[in-house]
Amino acid sequence: MNAWLIAAIVLLTGLVPCGALLLRGSIVSALVGLQMAGILQTVVLLLLAEGFHRPPFFDLALVLALLSLAGGLVFARMLERWV
Amino acid sequence: MTVSTAFAAMLVSFGVAVELACCLGVFLMEDAYDKLHYLGPAAIVGPVLIAAGIITVEGLGQAGIKSLLTAALLAVASPVLSHATARALYIRRRDHIEDRTMT
Repeated sequence: MNAWLIAAIVLLTGLVPCGALLLRGSIVSALVGLQMAGILQTVVLLLLAEGFHRPPFFDLALVLALLSLAGGLVFARMLERWV
Repeated sequence: MTVSTAFAAMLVSFGVAVELACCLGVFLMEDAYDKLHYLGPAAIVGPVLIAAGIITVEGLGQAGIKSLLTAALLAVASPVLSHATARALYIRRRDHIEDRTMT
């Protein structure tokens, strides 16, 4: 296990407060927690790709960053009107 | 450990610390508007530092460019998302206030 993987594991602990917010917060706070979790996961994927020395895995982080933006916008739009 | 490796370790450690601090900020703040403020450094400072650490070790190859692109995408997407979320929260609260004044 190298330093990149250790950093990824340490960063994964940040998902605990995000999960608590998703479960117990208001619906808008949960959306903020979801966005924070998306950012964290993107950075974790970057660290894992570097830790495993597999450059194609960097595409996963790139795609997740793009999809987090799309998902967050859809959720925000729905919170305005329907939920 | 070479100088570049030590520098990369310092950058990544600082990036991880920023991300965890922002997680705590999002969790501890009471209001959703306050929580939104912590998405900015988490999406800009942390990923840029970690991408800089990767570039320090790997150079501007495939890994370096993709990590830089990911950090740039997060830095562009985060203000858009924060604005959309704040707008949704504002509309929801305004509707609630109007409903309360009508009754």
